[in-house]
Amino acid sequence: MRFLVVMFKEIQDNLRDKQTVFYALLFGPILMPLILGGSIIGSLKQLSINFDQVTTLSVVNSESAPNLMEFLYSNNIDITEADDDPEKAVRRGDAPIVLKVMPSFNEALRDGQPAPLTVFVNDGDKNSSKQARKVVALLQAYERTINALRLQHRGIDPNVFNSLDITRQDVSLDGAGGQLIASLLPFLLIISMVMGGFYLAIDTTAGERERQSLEPLLSLPLNRSELVLGKFGATLCFVALSSILTSVSVFFLFKFFPTDVLGGGLNFDGRTITKAFLVASPLIAFISAVLITVSAFTRSSKEAQTYLGVLMVIPMAPFFILQFVTIRSEAQSMFIPMMSQYQLLERIVLGDVVPSLYILLSVAGTLLCAALLLLVAIKLYSRDRILM
Amino acid sequence: MIDAHDLRKAFAKPGASKKSEPVLAVSNVTFKAADGQVTGLLGPNGAGKSTTLRMLATLIKSDAGSASIDGFDIRDDVLSVRKQLGFMPHNAGIYPRLTASENISYYARLCGMSRRDSAKRVDELIEQLGMQSYANRRSAGFSQGQRTKVALARALAHRPQTLMLDEPTNGLDVMGTRGLREIIRDLAKAGHCVLFSSHIMQEVSALCDHIAIISDGKIAIADSLDGIKSRTGEDDLEDAFVRAIGETP
Repeated sequence: MRFLVVMFKEIQDNLRDKQTVFYALLFGPILMPLILGGSIIGSLKQLSINFDQVTTLSVVNSESAPNLMEFLYSNNIDITEADDDPEKAVRRGDAPIVLKVMPSFNEALRDGQPAPLTVFVNDGDKNSSKQARKVVALLQAYERTINALRLQHRGIDPNVFNSLDITRQDVSLDGAGGQLIASLLPFLLIISMVMGGFYLAIDTTAGERERQSLEPLLSLPLNRSELVLGKFGATLCFVALSSILTSVSVFFLFKFFPTDVLGGGLNFDGRTITKAFLVASPLIAFISAVLITVSAFTRSSKEAQTYLGVLMVIPMAPFFILQFVTIRSEAQSMFIPMMSQYQLLERIVLGDVVPSLYILLSVAGTLLCAALLLLVAIKLYSRDRILM
Repeated sequence: MIDAHDLRKAFAKPGASKKSEPVLAVSNVTFKAADGQVTGLLGPNGAGKSTTLRMLATLIKSDAGSASIDGFDIRDDVLSVRKQLGFMPHNAGIYPRLTASENISYYARLCGMSRRDSAKRVDELIEQLGMQSYANRRSAGFSQGQRTKVALARALAHRPQTLMLDEPTNGLDVMGTRGLREIIRDLAKAGHCVLFSSHIMQEVSALCDHIAIISDGKIAIADSLDGIKSRTGEDDLEDAFVRAIGETP
């Protein structure tokens, strides 16, 4: 049980290292979800229009079109009277958009002509163009009503002008942004695992060589496998802690950002996140083993950082690949660590059914790879060259 | 007690292809170090001192030859050898974020002591080496002398019978060196076998009962100080050393 002595020493030692603690407890669990999750959710929110939300609209000459104003008001838009110079007001940002009812509006409407309206919008401002899209959509709805009335007035069935009946049915449960958001959870979990153990693994292996404290350590009466296991255990604790904290912070993140704007199928409640964490948990062992083994190869912290920095791309790869390519989950791919967790976690968040066989294969494949890597690390520590 | 016989070790040149001839670091190293004595392994830089000590400490495997520490073979009985042996490499290699006593107690615990036993042993060593004033400070800012003492205390944590110190006085000031000499003498008096490597004549002649001169990976001569002087016919250890390694003084 001496590996426990090694493990506790490394934990104590590294808890005193600000860099390790920052990356394990702050960067992965708090900063990454806020930066990544926050920005993605924020941008989706900006793109999607909420017609139930009450907004105000500045209108020039609103008294000329009382019926239109009535219509807008009944569609959650409060009307305020605008200044005389709408162009300037929009450019300065005093109002996001301004609707100008032209003087000839009423006359044209009465004569059955197109009635002129101008929407002043600043397309350089996302909020302004979003408001404009909302108002234009409402105006088009109003136009359809008037069109129908005009046709009926002349004794024509309005359906004459509807020659096609196109139905667009989205069968995905998640909507457009759903998959992106769903892959956010595995991404954040895996990144926080890597960052959580990164500096500790380097410090306890390559750092130990660099400090030249490895030589006296290896001359002690204990097996080198116990040493490796202790260092692995310490890394495992940090990786686990970091990923647990990340799960908690993702839970709170989605509590504050309601998922209804992102599409219906997404689910980030406590049960889903717990299930996702459990499915991802074999990765804690796998990633710890990768970190320990790779840094055991290297001679200095700097070298280890270089190698692991390149390796960092691998956990991110599935995230980006899955953005472009839809890979159908198959049993074979479930044996590959990281790839399988990405797919499984996405399905869990999207509320899909996940076959138990897939979970079993994923756990087995990941743990097997972790064990093999650990054996390699122990082998590396048994060579003379570890001291050179 | 250390008994080395014909130890030999060759290394591949760093960066060279596998086919190229390996460099012979140590060959024909034969010497004895007795209990209750300080034995000096004296040799110029690159003579093979550290390689010899590393082989004896079971850190690297010898290519040929044999050696035993207190009767345990360094190739067959690695764990027993390590139990008998306290090894202090030539750079202290202590953990900067741990305090002096945490550094020592880590080694004591790794050697299998219980928490209580290790705490007792740490107190003993702090007392013995006079480290009271900085025992509970983190070692990041320690002087070379303080670091050396922590490393020595760590090597002594499991009460080894045999002690190997690789250039322990490197970087120490006069008072530090004198203090360390005192400690080494006391350890030998208490019956320990102390093997101590150095390239400084003065130090070896001031401290050692027995001297093994190593040059080019071979033991050139091994005897008491007086024995070496009479066998080389030189009155001064430095001249004797030069003659022993095959040059004319």
